[in-house]
Amino acid sequence: MVVPAKHVLFLLIFSALSITVTWANTEELGGEFSLTDHNNNPFELRQLQGKLVLLFFGYTYCPDICPTELANVAAVLNELDDQGDRVQGLFVSLDPGRDSPEVMRDYVHYFNKGLVGLTGSEDEVAQVARQYRVNYKRHEREDGGYSIDHSANLYLIDGKGKLTAVVPYGMPPKHILDLVRGLLAESG
Amino acid sequence: MHNVLLRSIWLAAVLISSASADLLSDSAPGYGELGYTLPAIGSYSLPALGEAGNGTVLNGDGKQQSLHDLFNDRYALLAFIYSTCSDVNGCPLSSHVFYKIKSAMKRDAELADRLKLISLSFDPEVDTPEVMKLYANNFRYAGSAGEWQFITTASHQALQPILQSYNQVIQREVDSSGKASVGYSHVLRVFLIDPQKRIRNIYSVDFLHHDLIINDVKTLLMQAQNQGRLLKAALSLPESSKLSKPGDDKQGYEQESYVTRSLDLELRQGQAADLISFIEKPPLGLPPVPVPGNNPISREKIELGRKLFYDRRLSLNDTFSCAMCHVPEQGFTSNELAMAVGIEGRSVRRNSPTIYNSAYAALLFHDGREQTLEQQVWGPLLARNEMANPSIGYVLEKIRKIDDYEGSFEAAFDGRGVSMETLGMAIASYERALVSGSSPFDHWYYGDDKQALPASAQRGFELFVGKAGCVACHHIGDKHALFSDNALHNTGIGYRESMGIVPETQPVTVAPGVTLQIDRSVIEQVGEPAPTDVGLYEVTQNPNDRWKYKTPSLRNVALTAPYMHNGSFSTLREVVEFYDNGGVANELLDPLIRPLGLNESEKQDLVTFMQSLTGGNVDTLVADAFAAPVGDVGKGDPSWVHGTDVEVR
Repeated sequence: MVVPAKHVLFLLIFSALSITVTWANTEELGGEFSLTDHNNNPFELRQLQGKLVLLFFGYTYCPDICPTELANVAAVLNELDDQGDRVQGLFVSLDPGRDSPEVMRDYVHYFNKGLVGLTGSEDEVAQVARQYRVNYKRHEREDGGYSIDHSANLYLIDGKGKLTAVVPYGMPPKHILDLVRGLLAESG
Repeated sequence: MHNVLLRSIWLAAVLISSASADLLSDSAPGYGELGYTLPAIGSYSLPALGEAGNGTVLNGDGKQQSLHDLFNDRYALLAFIYSTCSDVNGCPLSSHVFYKIKSAMKRDAELADRLKLISLSFDPEVDTPEVMKLYANNFRYAGSAGEWQFITTASHQALQPILQSYNQVIQREVDSSGKASVGYSHVLRVFLIDPQKRIRNIYSVDFLHHDLIINDVKTLLMQAQNQGRLLKAALSLPESSKLSKPGDDKQGYEQESYVTRSLDLELRQGQAADLISFIEKPPLGLPPVPVPGNNPISREKIELGRKLFYDRRLSLNDTFSCAMCHVPEQGFTSNELAMAVGIEGRSVRRNSPTIYNSAYAALLFHDGREQTLEQQVWGPLLARNEMANPSIGYVLEKIRKIDDYEGSFEAAFDGRGVSMETLGMAIASYERALVSGSSPFDHWYYGDDKQALPASAQRGFELFVGKAGCVACHHIGDKHALFSDNALHNTGIGYRESMGIVPETQPVTVAPGVTLQIDRSVIEQVGEPAPTDVGLYEVTQNPNDRWKYKTPSLRNVALTAPYMHNGSFSTLREVVEFYDNGGVANELLDPLIRPLGLNESEKQDLVTFMQSLTGGNVDTLVADAFAAPVGDVGKGDPSWVHGTDVEVR
């Protein structure tokens, strides 16, 4: 992937703490969390009770994986049409230092108006990542910028807030669509 | 914000490219179309790369299971992954490729049935069975075709031996403090494992592509099926007899799929039969049994002959009966020896002929030197490398002193005691009763049962009497068939042996599926030199009779391997190949023998035809043999040592 030179310049503006995330395997898997949505309002997962949630993680400077994943999720959401109101896509930033609510809003809207971007403090984000077993690591670059390596699974949470399936990265939208339709049909 | 605007332009570019290429431009080939044409299925081989290791894993329900049990005798595609993997060309690639294969399984029932996908985590701390189950949930609505399991292990200790056996080097990446794990670095490898738990291919990132893997699996399936078919064809007619097989059946030993089929002698059940009925009313396809005028058949003679046939005391040192070379459950020959081995391991230079249907043989021994069974009996009794009795009188005196023969000769022969003549007559009577016919061929040809013979055997019959010309020597009559012309022919086998025409190396199977080419000089160091054998010439002293041997009957031929007078062919297929090549050229080669130009399926058809010649009463005859007493030295018997009484051991 070729990153345009101008983009690199902007990366230089940001500096951030070194972030590494670890967890104990005793940590509850999935579950409730609190963050800030892209309109700068407090967000809690329970707000989405009754909806099927497509949760995934990334960051807006992400050069490859996140746009692909976002595009895939957007394609799924677009396909759902009639059942669109029963599904909510959530994109959680793993780079809250750079991804302010405003940045998140602009970013997710390129893909789908219905998507919600979430961010928060480093600690808040790290907590959610731990719960969902998301592995991420900041990589300093020689030019002073950084990128974040992160696992890119898609997490499906049912209407009761329970993590019900994990889709590994790399599955085509068709598969995700089949799964979402199946889960929706199951919950009536 | 300024930067956001610029980034959006850049993003649009990304989206356009990702829409067309599906994923990333520098992603592994597995994400896209295969950039090359695959070789045709079955056109290449995938030799085993070693044993697939085993270990204890946790399945989706968190239950302990051995990895091998999980394979469940199917082909398995095994990927080592961890769920938090962030390298697109690592674990996610394996998931993507597996997904493509699973999708193909929806359309391909064979693939779904025979192949299993397994993703095994090497991060037991994070990837608990609960986590792996969430992955499995992924495919809840992906159709029932094809199984993909996500498994993990209980601990690093449980995982380590598995990683080691698959040579998977996994390094934990740690943070700057050196304590916390932040991921793993590993080299992606996906293993294709066959039902025998052997690794058949290992895919690295550049070769992990669903089209290639499916091609490989199809190739293995096709080759296994062909092998299975050959094996089945080789075994199909012995199945028509439950009893006629060696106690340790080595058939198919040259194939990797061979499994031990040793039989438990304790389970061997004898069942005496009224053998005289086969002489009085021969089975379908056989002519009336010729019975010499001076030795009319009787139950008493058959019974006495049967007792003598299985009596080890008839040999010099009380060890060797007739049945030890003419083994009932091995087609009344010996399936396990090319050339017979006599008393004390002495080599006999020819293959044991079967006793089945010897009643019809006008000439006996491979060189046809004897004319009646009554006389023939004395050959092996006196041969120093067979039963090794020093004289006729020695045998007769010994039998006279054995209590359990007292009066039995007199009863069978109108008061005549044991003599050179009555002993021959008794054994000949038993042998004469071993007539075997009523085979699938007989039912089809003489019994007018159109269903009795499979199509392949019918085609084989047409070749047998037509293009291949076998019937010229292996006669088939209008009302019955003996499959022999009772004459002797030079096929070149004997010539080849006499002239020492041997390949430089010889294949030696040392373990199932492991056949080594051994240099001739090595074999000669440990083997005996080939015996001198010039066939009929030894009897007639006519140089034109060199290397002529008797045409054997082909009845029960599927049970009487190995073949030819020296047992030099292990399978009927080899025999067909030999004749297809026109035998071995020599100045006395029988003019009937010439290259036949058979194709592969014609050869198989001929083999199938010959396999259809197994008699329907074989098991009756074998079970009767099992019921016979085995004569062994007992108290009061004369000992072969110094003529004293035997001490009971």
